[in-house]
Amino acid sequence: MIKIKEGSVVHWLIRLVWVAAVVAVVIYIPTKTTSGTVGDFTLAFEYAIAAMSLNLVLGYAGIISIGHSAFFGIGMYTTAVLVSRYDWSQGWTFYVAAAIAFVVGFLVALPALRLKGIYLAVVTLALGVLFPTLIRWDKLEWLSEGPAGIDGITYDDIPKWPLIGELRGREGRATFIYWVAVLLLVISYLVARGLVKSRVGRSLIAIRDNETAAAVMGVPRARTKTVVFGLSAAMCAIAGSLSATRLNLASPDIRNITLIGSITFLLIMVLGGAATLWGPIVGALAYVLLDARLRDAGETGEGIVGTVFNDWLNIEGSPATLVLAVILLAMMFVAPFGIVGLLRRIARRIVVIEPRPAGHPIDESNLPATTEAVAEVDEGLAPGAEVNVFADPTTTSGEPT
Amino acid sequence: MNSRTSRLVAGLAAATLVVAACGDDDDDGGAADTGAAPAETGAATTVATEDTGTEATSAPPTEGTGAGETTASSAGTGSTATGGTGGGGGWTVNTDDCVDPDRANAPIEGTVNIGSSGPLSGGPAAAAFAPVIAGYQAYIDYANENQLLPDHDVSVSFGDDQYDPALTPGVINGALDEGAHLISGMIGTPNNLAVRDTLNEECIPHLEAASGDPEFGEVADYPWTMGSNLPYDREWKMYAEDVAREFPDGATAALFYVNNDAGAVSKQGFEDAAEELGIDIVDDQTIEATETAPPSAQLGSIAGNAPDVIVAFPLGAQCPVFLNELANQKAANQGWEPRVYLTNTCASPLILGAAGPSATGIFTSQAFGAVDITNPDNATYPGVAEYLDYIESKGLSDTVPTSAAGWNYAEVTVEILRRAAESPEGLTQASIINAARNFEYTPTMIREGITFKTDGEEDGYLVESTQIVQYDASTKFFTDVGELITKFESS
Repeated sequence: MIKIKEGSVVHWLIRLVWVAAVVAVVIYIPTKTTSGTVGDFTLAFEYAIAAMSLNLVLGYAGIISIGHSAFFGIGMYTTAVLVSRYDWSQGWTFYVAAAIAFVVGFLVALPALRLKGIYLAVVTLALGVLFPTLIRWDKLEWLSEGPAGIDGITYDDIPKWPLIGELRGREGRATFIYWVAVLLLVISYLVARGLVKSRVGRSLIAIRDNETAAAVMGVPRARTKTVVFGLSAAMCAIAGSLSATRLNLASPDIRNITLIGSITFLLIMVLGGAATLWGPIVGALAYVLLDARLRDAGETGEGIVGTVFNDWLNIEGSPATLVLAVILLAMMFVAPFGIVGLLRRIARRIVVIEPRPAGHPIDESNLPATTEAVAEVDEGLAPGAEVNVFADPTTTSGEPT
Repeated sequence: MNSRTSRLVAGLAAATLVVAACGDDDDDGGAADTGAAPAETGAATTVATEDTGTEATSAPPTEGTGAGETTASSAGTGSTATGGTGGGGGWTVNTDDCVDPDRANAPIEGTVNIGSSGPLSGGPAAAAFAPVIAGYQAYIDYANENQLLPDHDVSVSFGDDQYDPALTPGVINGALDEGAHLISGMIGTPNNLAVRDTLNEECIPHLEAASGDPEFGEVADYPWTMGSNLPYDREWKMYAEDVAREFPDGATAALFYVNNDAGAVSKQGFEDAAEELGIDIVDDQTIEATETAPPSAQLGSIAGNAPDVIVAFPLGAQCPVFLNELANQKAANQGWEPRVYLTNTCASPLILGAAGPSATGIFTSQAFGAVDITNPDNATYPGVAEYLDYIESKGLSDTVPTSAAGWNYAEVTVEILRRAAESPEGLTQASIINAARNFEYTPTMIREGITFKTDGEEDGYLVESTQIVQYDASTKFFTDVGELITKFESS
């Protein structure tokens, strides 16, 4: 087993290799694969942003939400209405969608100040049920187009971006939306990371783990919960806006704005690893790619899936959903802490990152010192050393290092 | 990365997004102008099994039901009218605005690849529509075995979108990546809408969009997209006119429909006609597409108004539930016997059979105007025997009524391909859509007197005629009511 000190040169090299590998994959997808594959990854990034938003409230703050599909829908319809009715450029609508969802999320979070557990879940459930009904409501048809939905949302002409150059046609459109998704995912990740690593993040975890103790310690519960819920809603709305732009359609028949969407976001979060920053991204990629491959296998009835289900078990039709459900159930047994947790456990058999001891001075030759880092050390809490009930209990950090 | 650096990077990324937001929409270096439709009127509906099933009272036709010469049809028994250009006045698509005009006009050699999507897994929709897809595939096999498209084989690839429009673009992009020359028989209104702009921009023929939404007849805005079913609004106008005939002194009607675009379009069609015909709509009830419980409250309200007529559009499995609940309400309100019209998406012995005696006497129509293929009296009808033999040889006996819809979609598509191949341009993507837009043809299982016809921008709807029929639960057959309705055929 190799032991590496956190913040050492080797540790930074590992991080550098990791980042380089991720960047290489991100560039490889639109340049070397087909537009169908690019579309699959774009869909995965949409899900990753939505699951990341849910992760903030459920994974870190312990606030149960089954209503995030409504925030996704708010994003989708805000973009659709502004583009189709008011001729806005798509990019600007993302900001408006986020702002509207923030306000709605803030308001919805108010009951969270007095409710806990299943009761809070019921409030968010009501929101999730209400949204699709509202957009079908004939009194709002002037805005939402009712059951018909709104189309004609995507860019008529694809904007030119530096480095990417001129893009045309179906493949160019897929590539452009992919890069928009990458950009939004990076922003969402940085926002989530900044939040989780900050005092607000520690407050969230404290509230989740013992709300009474957190209140006694002076954590501002009301402000923390409402603001984080609002931020989470805004992030989810951005995923919805992205989805509307990709699909060129906002329709009440789209599953992600119904309760099924909320459940899918939850599933992805748990699959990847709740209360981890990479969990939603890994979970979304695993879910989308697994689902796509299983649907492909189900179409042809060929391969292992076809042989087992169609030939041996004599099951008619595509077993894609059934197999996906079985795999996901199996994952809950094999990796109860999600894929990220599983990978970390495996990696730890090879390499162990030793955290900097709390209260010890930082080796400034290896780490660019910041006032925040020093302040954290002064408080006796190493960065990222929070207690995480979703994380592997044998580690102290909720994050890969 | 410390938090300050994180903030800096996030700020830069956000600034980049602002640049994206300011993107030059008028940049002529972008994608070609597709002549995209106004950015509104999306649609979201469920295309139920487009089952056929009406008893043909007339003698089976032999050939030549349309005007003009008769040639061999795709299936060898269907009736074609004008061989090359059908009813059109030579409408041709403009390929100048295509992303790749050369590709749109390039000859298609060898196998013609058809891409499509539909629900093969993921819920109740798969159970309803998978047989349609199987029927489509069966006809393509039949066409290849019988060399119905000379010098070419035809292949079709149905991707599984689970009836979720969010998955459809991925499926269709995958099909195009693999070399699909055209898209045909895609199931679901929102699913078709999710790729309509892309296909028009790329100049890919988008045929037989399996939906009755009138949006799929907008030739000027979407020249490469063509719907396949009788538009919902026309169907309900037909019912309104039938009501007016049955109740010449005026009638009261109640509407019951699924709360999606299909229901909304249908309702609008009936309301428009009712105003002119003096029909008083006394109640208006909806049901959510996902609802599975009996609509007791809605039908209780309708029963309270005791209308002369109920016109209903429940969705798929809701059809028998609706009929059984209606039977309960009638039992509780002795003497109330409304005349019931049911959407043609419920007009299948498989669906109505589930309602048992409650379905007796209901009126409906057909999406295509086909004969009742389950009625042995029609076994000698051209095309029916051939269909039954072939579909049973494929092991699809259990889904005969539903698979017929897919068979019909494929038959029309292959006939369009055949005409495109015979055109002076030969088989190209442009000649395919030209043939589709100048088309006149009676498929093999469609009753005499009904012709599938398009005429450029004058008539973008393939099917506009049908026959109102009445269902008998004891025999599980349909009988014709009144004359064929062809008045909506606009050319």
